[in-house]
Amino acid sequence: MSQLELRSIRKTYPGVAEETLKGIDIDIASGEFIILVGPSGCGKSTLMNTIAGLETISDGSIVLDGKDISTMEPKDRDIAMVFQSYALYPTMSVRENIAFGLKIRGLPKHEIDQEVERVADLLQISQLLNKKPANLSGGQQQRVAMGRALARRPRIYLFDEPLSNLDAKLRVEMRTEIKKLHQRLKTTIVYVTHDQIEAMTLADRIAVLKDGELQQLGTPKEVYNTPANLFVAGFMGSPAMSFVPVTVEQGGQGLYAQVQGNNGSELELPLPDYLSDRVGRQVILGIRPEHITQPQDQKNDQTLVTKGEFTIEVTEPTGPDVIALIQLNDTNVHCRIDPEHPVTWGETAELMFDMKKVVFFDPETEQRIAPH
Amino acid sequence: MTDVVRTGFRPSRVAVYGVLLLAALVYLIPLFIMLVTSFKTPMDIRTGNLMALPTDWTTIGWTKAWSEACTGVDCGGIRGYFWNSFKMTVPAVLISTLLGAFNGYVLSKWKFKGSNLFFGMLLFGCFVPFQVVLLPMAATLGQLGLANTTTGLVLVHVIYGVAFTTLFFRNYYVAIPDALIKAARLDGAGFFTIFFRILLPMSTPIFMVSLIWQFTQIWNDFLFGVVFASGDSQPITVALNNLVNTSTGVKEYNVDMAAAMIAALPTLVVYIVAGKYFIRGLTAGSVKG
Repeated sequence: MSQLELRSIRKTYPGVAEETLKGIDIDIASGEFIILVGPSGCGKSTLMNTIAGLETISDGSIVLDGKDISTMEPKDRDIAMVFQSYALYPTMSVRENIAFGLKIRGLPKHEIDQEVERVADLLQISQLLNKKPANLSGGQQQRVAMGRALARRPRIYLFDEPLSNLDAKLRVEMRTEIKKLHQRLKTTIVYVTHDQIEAMTLADRIAVLKDGELQQLGTPKEVYNTPANLFVAGFMGSPAMSFVPVTVEQGGQGLYAQVQGNNGSELELPLPDYLSDRVGRQVILGIRPEHITQPQDQKNDQTLVTKGEFTIEVTEPTGPDVIALIQLNDTNVHCRIDPEHPVTWGETAELMFDMKKVVFFDPETEQRIAPH
Repeated sequence: MTDVVRTGFRPSRVAVYGVLLLAALVYLIPLFIMLVTSFKTPMDIRTGNLMALPTDWTTIGWTKAWSEACTGVDCGGIRGYFWNSFKMTVPAVLISTLLGAFNGYVLSKWKFKGSNLFFGMLLFGCFVPFQVVLLPMAATLGQLGLANTTTGLVLVHVIYGVAFTTLFFRNYYVAIPDALIKAARLDGAGFFTIFFRILLPMSTPIFMVSLIWQFTQIWNDFLFGVVFASGDSQPITVALNNLVNTSTGVKEYNVDMAAAMIAALPTLVVYIVAGKYFIRGLTAGSVKG
């Protein structure tokens, strides 16, 4: 059991007017894999450093298994951390790197040896134990850094952008390894990244941060499908969600919004009923690429589905899909199209709009308009 | 690429090597003259050519310089002063280097309020001319009861050297990622453990820089030696001066040259032994900071 509670954590650096952390509340259950995500400067690394005890907090409390650890020294917190730069001790061998923390804690030699063997087996680095970090590849250094964290069997693991220094292929491999490791060991992990794909694939829950404030805390599915506000909606997902300003109008069939393409074509997009109290007002329509596709016959008669013709401005084949760019109300909008259904840039194509999962935001507050 | 590899024999190359060779010659000629003169007999020196090899190789100049030559009234050679210099230089180099390493560690990894100002003021110490501190230092040494002692000289050189060694180590440690310190803290290492177990083992290149620099500075120092030491505690630089300036008897150039060579040897040896680290350490420190 290692449950971590962050209670209204605040952090102000001396001489900096704005708070770096503005009261963060997160409850992390035992064995949970939680990911802090946000653009650089959002405070996610600061938050992680305060959990580790490398930085003090100005207000609030950090509670680990019912015990307030806010003012404890890092070494007394029983927390291990994996750094972006790995931070392996360059003069020590892999074995010594892993054993260092155990040695300092005064474990007997045979226990240290046993623990090093266990970790090395777990991460498949047994053959590297006598090498120096400088002689290892990036991926191997990454494993050793994780080994060093695992060796102490701490209560919480912190990962600070551990994969950012790896090349793309290795990053995907290590991502899977970390997920496997978590599923096997059932450890509590707090993981910082700016990569939203990493966040989506690894996390049990995602905490999206911006300017020192928690924007949303939820499962990857919740964060993706029902983003709390414009920022979260734009941050999660690749290509990003497109935002189109529209006016809600009442028609004979129900609510609709008029959108205009750059070729002059017009289309009435059906809107869900919960927008009925906003008739005549403007909302921001948040639409993901997968909501605009080539016409799919099985969807023809569904509600909140419509078709229209628009000029394709750019096509970007990604392999499994072709991402096409169109314009709606003078805004760029991405569509995800089956490569078997060729579209050509500069030409008009018929597109299907599935409005069931589209989300809407208040232009004033930028918050999502929740169905009620 | 092949063009670069196939340089071969080109006029520009010849010019470059010619200039380099000339420069090397200019620098080596004094050494050559000193060496050959030190192995000549006084007779040979008076009658022969300055550049000529000795007609009669003899080590009499060396043995006399080492154990018989007169420095002022004392005629025991420079032997005693040579050891004086060691007794002064070795502790002064080690203490100032260790202090510098420690200062550099604190100033780069455990910054405190005003640490940058502190570092700036410490740097100022690098630019204070020796002459400025002579009188206050003499007064201080007198009050401490260390006037005219080797210990006093060590103290002076440590104080003067710490500014430089701190600069070396601070700049070297600034380039070492802070994550390393954080990782060690999470591993449970404290202030001193991190210094001795993590940082010091990484410091060989900058250690060599500091050793060479300090050794050369302190060994070659004349001013502090002549002011703050007297008689038996004088370092070799002062003794060499006294030997050469002794006005009694005939001028023995072979002895003078041998004594000068003896005085210069230790710095030469240190540079040859640790030299390869010198360039490496200097460039490593200059990457950042």
